[in-house]
Amino acid sequence: MRRTFGQSLSLYGGVLVIVLAIGLPFWWVLTGSIKLPKEIIQRVPTMVPHSFTLQHFEKLLQASDFPIYLLNSMVVALFSTAFTVLLALPAAYAFFRMEFPGRNALYKTILLAYAFPGVVVLIPLYGLFAKVGLTDSPVALVIVNVAFALPFSIWMMRSFLATVPREIEEAAVVDGAPTTTILIRILMPLIAPGIASVAIFAFISSWTEFLFASVLIVSDARRTIPVGFAGIIGQYQIDWGLLLAGATAAIIPVVALFALVGRWFVSGLTDGAVK
Amino acid sequence: MMSPTRFLTIAGFAATLLAGTAYAEPVDLTVWHMEQPPHRVQRMKELLDEFNAAHPDIQVKQEPQSWGEVYAKAPAAFAAGNGPDLLFTIPDFTTVLKGIDVVVPVDDLVKDLDSKHGFVEATLAPYKYDDHVWAVPAYNMAISLWYRNSVLKAAGVEVPKTWSEWQAAAEKLSTDGKSGIGLPANKQLYTDQTVYSFMVNSGAGDLYNDDGSIAFDKPETVKAYDFYSKLAKFSPPDNSTWTWGEAEACFANSSCGMILQFGVINTYETQAEGDAADLGVAPVPHADEQSASATISYSNAIMLTTKDEAKQKAAKVFLTWLLEPANYGRFLTMEPGLFLPVTNDGAKAESFWSDKTVTKYKSQVETMIANSQNGKLFGFTTGKVFPSIGAISAQNVIAETLQRVVVDGQSAADAVKAGQARMSEIAAK
Repeated sequence: MRRTFGQSLSLYGGVLVIVLAIGLPFWWVLTGSIKLPKEIIQRVPTMVPHSFTLQHFEKLLQASDFPIYLLNSMVVALFSTAFTVLLALPAAYAFFRMEFPGRNALYKTILLAYAFPGVVVLIPLYGLFAKVGLTDSPVALVIVNVAFALPFSIWMMRSFLATVPREIEEAAVVDGAPTTTILIRILMPLIAPGIASVAIFAFISSWTEFLFASVLIVSDARRTIPVGFAGIIGQYQIDWGLLLAGATAAIIPVVALFALVGRWFVSGLTDGAVK
Repeated sequence: MMSPTRFLTIAGFAATLLAGTAYAEPVDLTVWHMEQPPHRVQRMKELLDEFNAAHPDIQVKQEPQSWGEVYAKAPAAFAAGNGPDLLFTIPDFTTVLKGIDVVVPVDDLVKDLDSKHGFVEATLAPYKYDDHVWAVPAYNMAISLWYRNSVLKAAGVEVPKTWSEWQAAAEKLSTDGKSGIGLPANKQLYTDQTVYSFMVNSGAGDLYNDDGSIAFDKPETVKAYDFYSKLAKFSPPDNSTWTWGEAEACFANSSCGMILQFGVINTYETQAEGDAADLGVAPVPHADEQSASATISYSNAIMLTTKDEAKQKAAKVFLTWLLEPANYGRFLTMEPGLFLPVTNDGAKAESFWSDKTVTKYKSQVETMIANSQNGKLFGFTTGKVFPSIGAISAQNVIAETLQRVVVDGQSAADAVKAGQARMSEIAAK
């Protein structure tokens, strides 16, 4: 069916508004990071830079600990992602396919845990980690990140598993495949987009986590980007160029991840949604 | 004659003692401070390296924290037994930690340092209560009125000294889409600070009565809020979201004719590329019937938070070293033009005045130091300190009261009345 001119206008107009609403702040951050300080703080912002400098990136990489924060964030996010996926997949399969007493109650309880605000358990968790010598350790962050990402990841993964026809599993059972083989050899390839979605969700949750990282990590050398970066910015005096350069550098890994597996992420979300 | 066994035992014991003395482990001190920007961390590192090299028996290391998290983080760390030995503070934070019994009084040390360097009384007063001194003042920050000489001259405006002059100046400077003044109206600490700068200049500096009841609702407070709301009309419309950085940017890009700020020198110098001679700073104007200006000042200090006697002794050596004029100026100039001296000899120290930025903005820094001597802080003005000030500050009740006037349109009298009720409610808990 052909669209009328009015419909097309509305459609493209709507798309343009959305693109501008989402894209303009990014554009402002990206271009701001290469402007001279005087241009950044101008009363009327310039959307197209009138100046060019890499001084903010130089300062960010040479005079601050940003590269260390970046590395720490990478390590924590990658381990958090790996453990989340490794735990969410079998857990979701168990909730979806296996019969055991209290299955539904446990499933609901797990989702309830997702609704818990982190700040409620912040201080008790600090005490707990301190007792086992895990404060100021990236291991503590990985544990917390996995614990908070897991409930929603299980829920997502369960939805993806539900899209796989039962007959495929039954055929594997008839051929004598054990549960682990069915999960690894049959189901994993079929729900790869779902696994990618969970991985991206876990990665971004970990990448942007601030609350626990700010309290559980004490030394500068172990800080992750959100916390380290907040410190770089300062309180009473803000170096706007440094702030924008840091924001630009911080989103690069996330953008790269989306570029690699973004298509899977979208199809994964859609597949889960239409079941 | 001594038996060989006995001789060997004694010799072994003596050797152990000697070896222990020769290779005694240095006393390790951990300092938590909230000066996280890279250049401040770097300057602290330089100072600590120098101190550690000169004192091989003491090793001090820094762990920079953030003001945003330290209120939750420090109590948790102390509860878990891994808190710092020295902790930077501001007066209301000290009340929080004193409440959990981790702060060690420093009466003797402060007495020694005072006799040696002479503390500015306004910086010591917020830490003197309950018969002790709870922290060693380290640097001061005070709000001043900032403007550009050329802008005032072009508008035919003199530097305002009283509120009526101030209002007239703000009106005249509000031209060509520019704001005469940039005042925040956010429910945030910066607004607490600017509003209190008005309160101390109308005679409403005391938040508490002697018995600990709230003394907020009085004509002087209403007058301060009323005037603030009038002046805020000459501020940019987004001022209800402002923190310090936005106000500073507004001034740096010449959108705001005047602002109230602790310091703008660094931003003015590095981001606005302004002319040093054009930057003006003055005391915060006072109400017409008052005779002199006052301001809000934050005396930042260092608390001793270790019960270990060897560490306490080492910490005192470190703090004494830090306040020596030869070192102290370099400590202050980790943020030149913002951190002000708390000692009389520190204010004259060559190490402070020889800093490149301080030299360039000498007259402005001199005015800032003079202003800081008349500084007060809400909740710490009567010599008695009540624990509820921590919650009143943390919940930004002073700024919340302003929002009732500026955002909700209440009268200043009604808003202050509600503020009094809110503070009383917090104090009663």
